Amino acid sequence: MIVAIDQNICTGCRECAEVCPAFAIEGDQGKPQTINTDRCVMCGQCVQKCKSYVSILTHGKEAYEKVKKERNIPDSVTEPLFAAYPVCNLDKVKAALADPNKFTVVQCAPAVRVAIGEDFGDELGKLTPGKLAAALRRIGFDRIYDTNFPADVTIMEEGTELVKRVTEGGVLPMFTSCCPAWVKYMENNYPEIKDHLSSAKSPQQIGGAIFKTFGAEIDGKTGADIYSVSVMPCTCKVFECGRPEMKDSGYRDVDVAITTRDLAWLIKDLGIDWASLPEEEFDQPFGIYTGAGTIFGVTGGVMEAALRTGYELVTGQPIPNVDVTPVRGTEGFRKAIIKIGDLELKVGVVTGLKNVVPVIEAMKAGTLDLHFIEVMTCPEGCVSGGGQPKLLMDADRAEAYAARREATFVHDRELPLRKSHESPAVKKLYDEFLEEPNSHLAHHLLHTSYCIK
Amino acid sequence: MKKELGSFVIGDSTKCTGCKACEMACFTVHNQGSNHVGKTVGTVTVPVVPRLFLTKFEYGCMPIQCKHCENAPCLNACTKGAISRIDNQVIVDPEKCIGCKDCMQACPFGAVTLLPYAKDGKVVAQIGSNETRVFASKCDLCKDVPGGPACVRACPHEALRLVDPEAEREEKNIKAAEALLLTKNWR
Repeated sequence: MIVAIDQNICTGCRECAEVCPAFAIEGDQGKPQTINTDRCVMCGQCVQKCKSYVSILTHGKEAYEKVKKERNIPDSVTEPLFAAYPVCNLDKVKAALADPNKFTVVQCAPAVRVAIGEDFGDELGKLTPGKLAAALRRIGFDRIYDTNFPADVTIMEEGTELVKRVTEGGVLPMFTSCCPAWVKYMENNYPEIKDHLSSAKSPQQIGGAIFKTFGAEIDGKTGADIYSVSVMPCTCKVFECGRPEMKDSGYRDVDVAITTRDLAWLIKDLGIDWASLPEEEFDQPFGIYTGAGTIFGVTGGVMEAALRTGYELVTGQPIPNVDVTPVRGTEGFRKAIIKIGDLELKVGVVTGLKNVVPVIEAMKAGTLDLHFIEVMTCPEGCVSGGGQPKLLMDADRAEAYAARREATFVHDRELPLRKSHESPAVKKLYDEFLEEPNSHLAHHLLHTSYCIK
Repeated sequence: MKKELGSFVIGDSTKCTGCKACEMACFTVHNQGSNHVGKTVGTVTVPVVPRLFLTKFEYGCMPIQCKHCENAPCLNACTKGAISRIDNQVIVDPEKCIGCKDCMQACPFGAVTLLPYAKDGKVVAQIGSNETRVFASKCDLCKDVPGGPACVRACPHEALRLVDPEAEREEKNIKAAEALLLTKNWR
């Protein structure tokens, strides 16, 4: 179980069914709902929407503690619990931290640093990478790494793949594969188009695979010594890291994923005072990242990051304007033509999974003329993910998403490096380990195939 | 004209889905100051105490809340002076409430119940015991909230509305007068 609805708490309002992109929520109006796990893509938008809380009046004084226990939530948690909820793996993280034989490595996704502060009373969308690194260090992880680094690596792998497909005549359009809910949706509903997905793994999995191989080598460890944790804005990342095939190094790429909200619980549970945390750095070398890595957290970000590097891969020249504004925005489907030397690259960006259906249908009908399409399941990309801090009132949703998005772009603008291929950590990875993007070893560790049941 | 009758919020069971967004919004706006509740769920450290109550019944569901009665039975029943009329609305002072349930008994709509009292982000204990102190939780029409009743604004289906009874009566009077004008030719 990744996402579920508690039959005892659900009022049957079906507001969640309105936001579910996979039509997975089933039940009569006014009766408790169930999730059809054959359809569910585990995006967690139902979790974000649900307001039906465990109530003293409706469920009794004892219910809150009982539900907390059933869901494996730390005792220290005091916040409201709702009918729709995601799995909580904090017990596994705590056990690993307590095990002296495990070398714990943590990574956190770009969208976490623009939202986690909200659960400590910071204003919406506050940018807090330094506090995040400091909190993870105080929790006791042995290495504080960052998903933004493997996001940069994803650009090298996926960008190279795209250039090959375009110049050598591969399957087009190519779809991004970073969003595990989109991948699951495609596998469930459109398995016939699986060859259109980039074979590159998501940043979470790429990070995991590197930490247990090259990372282990750097620290004088083996993959067996490392316990790899990821902090994600996403409930489906918990599913993705458990996919059976995600262990090409011989070890699980990522051992366990927790959400932004889970991490906020853990920080509180350990008595760490968020407000007084200093700004610290992520650990080297896999804590170095570029602006391109951090914009993975917003819709259009993967596309923009890919274009910043792809332009240079094809033309040998830096992209004239590093802010690729034509692919920014929050509309459900937007298109742009980007001139790269003699090539006119036609790209599309889909956000909100329901918006991908007409795109796929057009592609199948032969009326879609695009080379590369980014797809993100959540309304405005990962900043609006199912594992992000949950708003008490829907009226604040637009403001929260806009603030998290803006903070992401601010972070990008302020970083010294803004293109993935300029990252010294990326250069080190290829120089000392992978040789070159899409090399034999890169393919073995960092790429995958789909529709494995 | 000076407002003489208290306003109130009323629900519509033909529009309500039972989502409890109203209860959540009610709790949120009443705890943003005193209990440090922010904009996200993670900032909440106290039990969710609503002042209106989603009610399921045979034909559907809707929230039930205080009518701000003019001859308020709760106000009349309270022996501790914990309920008073402020700007036409019936308001509870949780500091004075002893949790005797007289107001609950008196209210014909079930619009009052006793729920945990929290201050400064913590549930308040009773003096001389660890038991949680309670207070009569009922609608105060968001008297201190900019923008008016949060429940009305939070409802995704416009199933709640703020009623100004005197203004609505006048409107009906005007409609009735217009209708009567049409009948003049027939008299």
